[in-house]
Amino acid sequence: MKRILTSIIVLLTVFALFATGAEEVKTAEGPIKIGSIQDLSGSASNAGRPNAWGAEYAVKVINENGGINGRMIEIYTQDCKNDVTEGLNAYHKLVDEIGVCAIIGPALSNPASAWVELAQEDQVPIIGHFMDEVCTTNPDNGQTYKYMFLCEPSCSQQARDLAEYAIADLGKKSFAVLYNPSNAFAKAQADPFVKYVKERGCTLAASETFGWADKDYSAQALKIVASGAECVFLGDYLGQMLIAYDALRDAGFKGTVIGANTMAPPFANQVKNEVHDVYFLQNYDMLNPSVGNINALVTKHMAETGTASPQVNVGFGWDAVLVLTEAMKKAKDPTDGAELVSLLEQTKDLELSGGVKITINAQHRTDTMGMYIATYVDKQMKIVGYRKVE
Amino acid sequence: MWLQLSINGICLGAVYALIAVGFAIVFSVLKFSNFAHGGMISACAFMGYFFQASFKKAPPIWVTILFTAFCGVLFALFLDQIAYRSIRRNKSPNIYYFLASLTISIIITSILNVFFSKNPLAYPPLFETTTFSIGALKISKMDTMILIISAALLAALLLLINKTKIGLAIRAVAISPETSKLMGINSSMILIMIFSIAGFLSGVSGVLLGCKYGVYPDLGQTMMVKGFIASVIGGLGSLGGAIAAAFLLGLLEMFWTYVFGSLSTPVMTFVVMLLFLFIRPQGISGKFAKEKV
Repeated sequence: MKRILTSIIVLLTVFALFATGAEEVKTAEGPIKIGSIQDLSGSASNAGRPNAWGAEYAVKVINENGGINGRMIEIYTQDCKNDVTEGLNAYHKLVDEIGVCAIIGPALSNPASAWVELAQEDQVPIIGHFMDEVCTTNPDNGQTYKYMFLCEPSCSQQARDLAEYAIADLGKKSFAVLYNPSNAFAKAQADPFVKYVKERGCTLAASETFGWADKDYSAQALKIVASGAECVFLGDYLGQMLIAYDALRDAGFKGTVIGANTMAPPFANQVKNEVHDVYFLQNYDMLNPSVGNINALVTKHMAETGTASPQVNVGFGWDAVLVLTEAMKKAKDPTDGAELVSLLEQTKDLELSGGVKITINAQHRTDTMGMYIATYVDKQMKIVGYRKVE
Repeated sequence: MWLQLSINGICLGAVYALIAVGFAIVFSVLKFSNFAHGGMISACAFMGYFFQASFKKAPPIWVTILFTAFCGVLFALFLDQIAYRSIRRNKSPNIYYFLASLTISIIITSILNVFFSKNPLAYPPLFETTTFSIGALKISKMDTMILIISAALLAALLLLINKTKIGLAIRAVAISPETSKLMGINSSMILIMIFSIAGFLSGVSGVLLGCKYGVYPDLGQTMMVKGFIASVIGGLGSLGGAIAAAFLLGLLEMFWTYVFGSLSTPVMTFVVMLLFLFIRPQGISGKFAKEKV
């Protein structure tokens, strides 16, 4: 009886091993599953939707050109609603249920910062535009989060680029900031901005804040006007930027307003006041068809989705997929997270949609890319400079 | 500076008053906090926006306001029909009203989110320049328009409630629906009128708030909190109290933010509300509504 039982167990074990092996072979030959977590319906969905489109379009183009060494890519997009809990749900769905091998992250630091340890445990690299350094570097010990990769200048790099432009090119000496400290995106730019202008010997005349629920910033704007600041930095999402700009102009602020890349169109068409003396960051020279393929991408996006203005995040989604798939092409097994990480770390001089080359540094960020400075002329965006502070 | 802050505070108070009154008028009769009012404001803001956008040349703002107010009335009556009527028929406890109104508000906001996401939409600018000056003071034209419309509407509403037979009937139903019925008042009709007024106010609020802050699904919800606080401080169900409290809240917020910064302002407003609930639960108006939600 014992022999019969032993034989059955051995047979079952062999069968199970064989079945698993067959499944592995099947997986190795099947499509490569990647995830994309974007804000599709939350407070930053105006950025998240084009981001998702850019990633999906990149996958489509890669598949049309033969995929990754003959294997097609399947992209699964999830909505994080710019919320940490929703972001975690989206992550678990992609990794635990669908079984993706890598994720294209959102241009949002709040949800992304919650995945840093999970990604390491699950060995799932996440490539995206989460600008806050806490998404790529552990703030407690300075160590790099091995599975997180940022594909654009970080918040502090961008803030320094803008501050330097304001000081050197616009000749500003006295600054104010108006931002929502509960918004990681805004805080991660405002703090280094303040630090940089102080280091350069300029004055911080006022530092004013507002909260998510606030809808009237006129008291803060009056304080800024009274402070005599020549230049005000705004660093939030579009909705808050609109209220902040109008509050400043309504309060009589005649100086220069500078801000994050969320000041891009449709900002100029949505503010109530005349747009003047406005300078803001841009990742790409989107309107220039001779630089990279970003112009073709935003034009295609506008035509396909009916979006009225060019959206920078289309390039973000595209670029993140480009960085990931370049590593996949070199991998023995493009679904092996550990191998992908080691290849992503070797990313060097890879030309992105904006025509600028990216090299991933030891912090899993990039210091080879600068930022464009844009302004509005008759409500039309115009690039006026390019800055890269070392 | 203090005069400028006072003017800004009064303008902010006018916005809160418009919301608080829509809230208070339902409470005065049905004795529940109609949180669906926030969702209705958002929905009306979108209706007004798309009404304007449907024309090649945008119609005058008063046409949009009237159209949206009319839509607001129909929408409020529809919500009453699907959500509140059966609760009334079954004579269910007030908590059912509260839960229904909260649910409706969440549903409206979620539906708007699905279709429009949270991207802000903007009404076309109403004025070529946004402010006018009186001496050193700079006054927002949009705020002034909101203040004038709010003041006119609130005055008309107070006249209706306090000086007309319909107002008398509303007040009678507010005190005792059963006794009013025995006195020959058609309380069902009065309730329809109450929801119509609330709907009308949500339509006007939706357009005005949309013009000022942009149009997005959470617009009404976020402003609703301030309206609720104003109606509690004013004395739940009291229109006059809600208006007074709304202006007080606007002024307090403006000065507090200027002196102490914005981060502690929500704490201040809720502390003021708590103080009123502890020390003077009947609110500024002095009338005491027993059933508070």
